[in-house]
Amino acid sequence: MTAGKLIRTIFFIEILQGMALTLRTMFTPAVTRRYPKVKRPVQPGFRGLHALAKNEEGKMKCVGCGLCGAYCPSQCIHIYTTEGEDHNKVVDRYEIEVLRCVYCGFCVEACPFGAISLSEHYEYSGYSRKEFYMTKEKLLANWDKYFTGKKGERYYKDFWRPKSEDFHGYEGQAMFKGIKNEK
Amino acid sequence: MEDIEKTFETRELTISMGPQHPATHGVLRLVLNLDGETVVKCTPYVGYLHRGIEKLGENRTYFAALPLSDRLDYISSMNNNVGYVNAVEKLFGIEAPERAKFIRTMVAEMGRISSHIIWLGTHVLDIGATTPFLYAFREREVIMDLFEMLCGARLTVSYPRVGGVRNDISQEFLDRLYEFVLDFPSKMDDYETLVTENRIWKSRTVGIGVISAEEAVNWGLTGAVLRGSGVDYDVRKYAPYDAYDKMEFDIPIGRKGDCYDRYLVKMGEMRQANRILKQCIEKLPAGPVMADAPKFTLPPKDMVLKDMEHLIHQFILITKGPTVPEGELYMGTEVPKGELGFYFVSDGTGKPYRMRVRAPSFIHASVLPRLCEGGLIADVIANIGTIDIVLGECDR
Ligand code: SF4
Ligand code: SF4
Repeated sequence: MTAGKLIRTIFFIEILQGMALTLRTMFTPAVTRRYPKVKRPVQPGFRGLHALAKNEEGKMKCVGCGLCGAYCPSQCIHIYTTEGEDHNKVVDRYEIEVLRCVYCGFCVEACPFGAISLSEHYEYSGYSRKEFYMTKEKLLANWDKYFTGKKGERYYKDFWRPKSEDFHGYEGQAMFKGIKNEK
Repeated sequence: MEDIEKTFETRELTISMGPQHPATHGVLRLVLNLDGETVVKCTPYVGYLHRGIEKLGENRTYFAALPLSDRLDYISSMNNNVGYVNAVEKLFGIEAPERAKFIRTMVAEMGRISSHIIWLGTHVLDIGATTPFLYAFREREVIMDLFEMLCGARLTVSYPRVGGVRNDISQEFLDRLYEFVLDFPSKMDDYETLVTENRIWKSRTVGIGVISAEEAVNWGLTGAVLRGSGVDYDVRKYAPYDAYDKMEFDIPIGRKGDCYDRYLVKMGEMRQANRILKQCIEKLPAGPVMADAPKFTLPPKDMVLKDMEHLIHQFILITKGPTVPEGELYMGTEVPKGELGFYFVSDGTGKPYRMRVRAPSFIHASVLPRLCEGGLIADVIANIGTIDIVLGECDR
């Protein structure tokens, strides 16, 4: 054992260094939140509870093509359609088992009409399983609740992928712009 | 003395450790035969988290099976995604554009750091140090927030896509990531101050769970467990995928193959991951993020709304899946736990005929008896921690 090592062992150098670090950290600001009181802000484009989009007239955009249900990896979307008066397709029931959903966002990607969206809601709690069985009415109500005003339009503009520009590249792509605040 | 031993009847004790033991990292069950405190026999039982992911994958199109790979090793879902899409792309014979490759490398290294950070936190927590655990989660939170900014999910990201990535990164993301990259080495120093030289830590890990290089290779170990024994095998170096061939990085290796060396290897890997991240950001090229391969990628949404051809295409790709060349393919990628391999047998339809996952955790769990037998029961915990298994991947 070298002299340096001996001194380290006798005087608990490495332990003291660790202690000093913990002491220092005690005076840094806390990184935790008091959760139910302080909610964490959600980033735009968060993949949370579903909503069925409405068009400008307040009608449901979904035409019942069933692509979202076909693509869904957990197969939790159930769509039932019938023939309407003038031989158009009518969506009778559109149901999502939210407890089985994995929030992959593939339904949004699959939908060719921009009719389903994922909102920023992330707090799921309830007293029965039934509350998590989203019916068409509930999903449409979610749209009013989470995509008020221009938000819905913006959602499809930003988060409905892929877009043409993804295949070509475009001006103003995020690039490394040199060191701003080097420490 | 002999009289006493004769009068006291001693016998082996069999205990079941797990599946609800907090230190078994999920639902691993070990049946231990003990002679006093010495482990005579150790038998791992796996399968408590079996969800049939391989079978599920065979019932979904190549695109729709992507979220299944998130759920293999759920703390580094990004790396699994990257591994999955790389294998599928190779099967399809397409290649992602340069920018997408850089982004994938970037997010994979972020995933590696976040996974290693959890490993560090839980491993030292199991052995008795609480503080690094809390520090580790502080940094992990930064990465999770960045993931959320990137793709809208924190843990099960499903971000890469066959032929590229889901969406381009934003300038804010890049800037914040760069800040993190500059800051991270000082955090690493913090962990090292707390753990590396600590005498309690050393006495619990040095010389524990030793496995020689030859044995490690024979057991089929990969990742840090193999490198801890001194074999410098890393898929990223020897069969580079994505942008790893353009990155400069070293492979940290250990010498003795004990818990402490594996710890050092993983710490070194985190620093290297940070180095790769830095290069990724600085060299990031402009350009598309999705491959120009209309037969294998979903058509752009703005065109789907306007154009009938694209709409039909969208329908076909989603309901039937792509038309895939027949054949079979194996591709391994380096995930934080080791080499994750996907093996596909394709019969030409949109769904794999067979999907097989080579899960490093499963193989590492099988080496536990070798590491534990003959040691003390307290060291079983150190051994479980050091091989860094996630049971979601092990049981699949
Ligand atoms: S988010 Fe994914 S799992 Fe959930 S309904 Fe949509 S496609 Fe299905
Ligand atoms: S939500 Fe979209 S994909 Fe699903 S049935 Fe309606 S229109 Fe079709």
